[in-house]
Amino acid sequence: MKTSALSKVIIGAAGLTSLLMFTWPLFIGSTAANEAVVAQTAFILLMPMILVLILVEFATGGIDSRHLAILGVLTALNAVVRMLGAGTAGVETAFFIIIISASVFGSGFGFLLGTTSLLVSALLSGGVGPWLPFQMMAAGLIGLGAGFIPKPKRRWLLLTALIGYATISSFIYGGLMTMWNWPFLAGIGSSVSYAAGEGVGANILRFINYELLTGGLIWDLGRAITTSVLILVTAPALLATLNRAANRAGFEKL
Amino acid sequence: MAALKASNFEPATWWVLGICLAFASGMTSNPLILISTIAFCVAVILIAREPAPWSQSLKFYLGLSAFILLTRVAFRIVFNYSAPADDTLLQLPALEINLGLGGSISMLGNVSAASLGAAFADGLRLSAIILSIGLANTLANPRKLLKSTPAALYEIASAISVAINLAPQLIESLQRVRRARSLRGRSKGLGALAGTVIPVLEDTIDHSLALAASMDARGFGRRGTMSRFEQTLARLMSLGSLLATSMAIYLFLVNGQLQLLALALGLLAVAFAAIAVRITSRKSNRTRLIKANWQSQDFAVMAFGGVAIFGAIMHWWLP
Amino acid sequence: MVALIKIADVSFSYKASDSPNLNRVNLQIESGEFVLVCGPTGSGKSTLLKVINGLAPHFTGGKFKGSIKLDEIEIASKLPHELSDKIGFVNQQPESAFVADTVIDELAYGLEQLGVAPAEMRVRIEQIAAQLGIEKLLHQPLGFLSGGQQQRVAIAAALAAGQKVLLLDEPTSALDPQAALEIVKTLKRLSSELGITVLLAEHRIERVVEQVDSVIVVHGDGSVTKGAAREQFNDYRMVPPVIELSQKLELLPLATTAAEARNGIGERLFEIRPRLPIAENAAKDWALKINELSVRYQDEIALQPFTATVNQAQITAIMGPNGSGKTSLLWALQGSGLRSTGTAITPWGDCASMPTDERLSVVAMVPQKASDLLFLNSLALELEESDRFAKVSPATTASLFEKLAGRIDPAIHPRDLSSGQQLALVLAIQLVKGAKILLLDEPTRGLDYAAKQQLADQLIKLRQMGKCIVLASHDVEFVALVADEVIQLAAGQMVFSGKTEIALGAESDLATQVAQICNQPGLLTVAQVVLS
Repeated sequence: MKTSALSKVIIGAAGLTSLLMFTWPLFIGSTAANEAVVAQTAFILLMPMILVLILVEFATGGIDSRHLAILGVLTALNAVVRMLGAGTAGVETAFFIIIISASVFGSGFGFLLGTTSLLVSALLSGGVGPWLPFQMMAAGLIGLGAGFIPKPKRRWLLLTALIGYATISSFIYGGLMTMWNWPFLAGIGSSVSYAAGEGVGANILRFINYELLTGGLIWDLGRAITTSVLILVTAPALLATLNRAANRAGFEKL
Repeated sequence: MAALKASNFEPATWWVLGICLAFASGMTSNPLILISTIAFCVAVILIAREPAPWSQSLKFYLGLSAFILLTRVAFRIVFNYSAPADDTLLQLPALEINLGLGGSISMLGNVSAASLGAAFADGLRLSAIILSIGLANTLANPRKLLKSTPAALYEIASAISVAINLAPQLIESLQRVRRARSLRGRSKGLGALAGTVIPVLEDTIDHSLALAASMDARGFGRRGTMSRFEQTLARLMSLGSLLATSMAIYLFLVNGQLQLLALALGLLAVAFAAIAVRITSRKSNRTRLIKANWQSQDFAVMAFGGVAIFGAIMHWWLP
Repeated sequence: MVALIKIADVSFSYKASDSPNLNRVNLQIESGEFVLVCGPTGSGKSTLLKVINGLAPHFTGGKFKGSIKLDEIEIASKLPHELSDKIGFVNQQPESAFVADTVIDELAYGLEQLGVAPAEMRVRIEQIAAQLGIEKLLHQPLGFLSGGQQQRVAIAAALAAGQKVLLLDEPTSALDPQAALEIVKTLKRLSSELGITVLLAEHRIERVVEQVDSVIVVHGDGSVTKGAAREQFNDYRMVPPVIELSQKLELLPLATTAAEARNGIGERLFEIRPRLPIAENAAKDWALKINELSVRYQDEIALQPFTATVNQAQITAIMGPNGSGKTSLLWALQGSGLRSTGTAITPWGDCASMPTDERLSVVAMVPQKASDLLFLNSLALELEESDRFAKVSPATTASLFEKLAGRIDPAIHPRDLSSGQQLALVLAIQLVKGAKILLLDEPTRGLDYAAKQQLADQLIKLRQMGKCIVLASHDVEFVALVADEVIQLAAGQMVFSGKTEIALGAESDLATQVAQICNQPGLLTVAQVVLS
């Protein structure tokens, strides 16, 4: 896809702005403590707006019916596979297809697949809620990043790179989503809540303590393990299948 | 006025109402207002919902809300909050834990009535937000909603509706392939996963190429007129919106002093984003067989949402 | 008459290195003409259609040269969506090309893309729906329609914007004969009454040959010819039995329909040879004893109590329309399917109570979509995996496969094999443990005449090895090529069981084309006719 420089700037700015909406408890100032709740509510509305801006940006640049059709079917497959995995603690089957597809079809496709997969599986299983735009954005960013995984010729190197990325991104996704609900669940004032005005370092430690004490990390570990194992088992076949499709239809990377 | 049934309204109406209520609930911590918002949402869902697959998740939203309320209160008991001593409700043994990260964490100890009340209100607020969004999701027909997305998002909406139409077929194919796999002798374990997913994926990809051919042969991809100038303008608007958002967040949360300016920037961001989407929507000259048909009852419902927001802002501004 | 479509000097190849699929093709197609495009699988029938509306090369990749004019306007370099208001395209499987969820939205899709005003859109949708007889279905979800109805919707959607040219790529392949006939008649009406030019790619020539104005043959070597049916089929190999018989008897002019052939042959009686070779294992030991077997899903009865005995070294065909219980019966026989009552035993034990490993050495089954069983990246890997899993010495599967399908490049991706080759691969994988009973579900779906003949030869080879073969099929001509016995099901009930000669003879509803023409007891296939 021909992305203009402006378009890249927009996508970058959108990514950073959305990260701000996840991580604000880390650097909130002491004078703003009372307004945090209002801000957090506003983010539930602003996050969809950022999503729309990025999606519009991708939809105006070089997307054609082949990209869309394959995006549609992979989204459906991902939503179905995700429903099969749902219910078992820590099992998260949404990410392996996103990561592998992004490494074949490019980071733009990865972003789109991340957002649409989470949206469609929420629509199909009734999981639409205030958290959804944040999940979509986090999954989209993971897909976006997966497009930048280097592609060494040796298969085991590529597999290692994919699994490494899957592990890191599982923790990042978990971290972002926990950070989103951290202020909601822990509130203010306890020793594991965020503390306005204490600075990024202190708040990160508080967050890690919260993650450890509430078992959030165990879920993240479960997600990392399932995603890695699924990649290990399916990547050789999935990569071959998707690459074949890309060649057959003369895909351009998105 | 038509009967108060979900499908007599535009699906976007329900989302406007839901979002307004969610926002209004987010701005208050008055338990009475929150409880009445929750009750209102449940009542509207019960009255207006119809037997559609997306309308059956009220129980899920109620269960989740209860769970969050309880978690919120439990967290307040478990993780010690600096409670004033005079209204102590529970006296639990205090516990100091040091995980080696940033000093010790105090747990349990004295729990005051006021802090429990605050936790309860906090939990109620999140419950009210969840039920407001739940109201929108339960009452708005997602397929119809996809048809009224702005033209700028047409491509993405097409991909999503393809996915929604395809998902049930995929479940069938997965079952069929899984059954066929048993003929080859192995149907258990992780090894079987590739054996099930790959044939389905191969079929799916063939399917997607056929679909793309069919879409294109029927005119998908015809572009309307969008000049270079318009395109650049739209992008600058997007960028402006994003910058305004970031600045608003900074001013509001980090600085905390210039709230009015932050609010203005936030509104500016929304306006810029709307303009960007509006301009980009011109890239297509498609028409729609069924257009959104806003009636007076839609406006009435949305106006109700607007009043809720107005009330909330007033309530927050003038304590 | 002026030619509407002029194809001049068109060449096309998918990869620069390949020999061209189309080589310097020149064709003229008149306005309102109904043209059959035929040729063996992979010859380039659908490529020819796709170059006309730009899907090739824009969607398939490949190299295109030459000129295509529609109404004197050059269209060769246009994109498919630029031609969408002039040329309609209908794909093999309508359900995979649907964009919307209800009929009316599907019909509106193309009009919306063209920017037609909503009021005019409604008028056009009503018109085209009336022309295709789907006006009652407008608000139905697409998934609830039958295959024939879905294909009608696809045709209506392709013509809704007033397109004058309609391209169809094997539109009847998923339909049963009755529904296929109705579609073809509709197409005939569209061309003769509305003047729409129809190009129809189809390998089941017998379904359409009576209706079309002319025939284009894509020969597979890059050459393409156009002419009247009887000239085109004079010495062409890929033809239905009617024409094959006329060719064999050297009828002049060549008969292309059963009625013509009957006139040409008159009261002649032929000397006939036996349909099937004599099985060496003539003792006819039994292989399956089925007793009161029935299948019932919740409140729906798929198979009524069923009793039969099937022998070794024998091919038994289970026939009946879609939904008559054929598939349920096969799965119940295989042992992993539901058996509500009754038993099915083999001399080697009861399949239902065997562990999967052991079962594979008794009974093998090929499901309706053979490719469901293939999931590795190359033919070689599939063959190795099969050896390893069956615990047989290396290359056992490969040699069995070679016996069935000949030598094929082991590096090829299994999905790039033709349907016939995929079927042979799955047969080899399933039979490598030496199963004595082989069950096949609709094995001829998607196969052309040559591939069907090849499969028939393979099955007869297996029969000579003493295997008991049970196949479910509604393909009358194929059953005539292979089956010793026929069991006919209707709505879950056995309505006939006996010799193939009776089941498919001239007196039967399921008579083969040759039986209909010659009306001679025991004569079912062209190969049986001995020329003196």
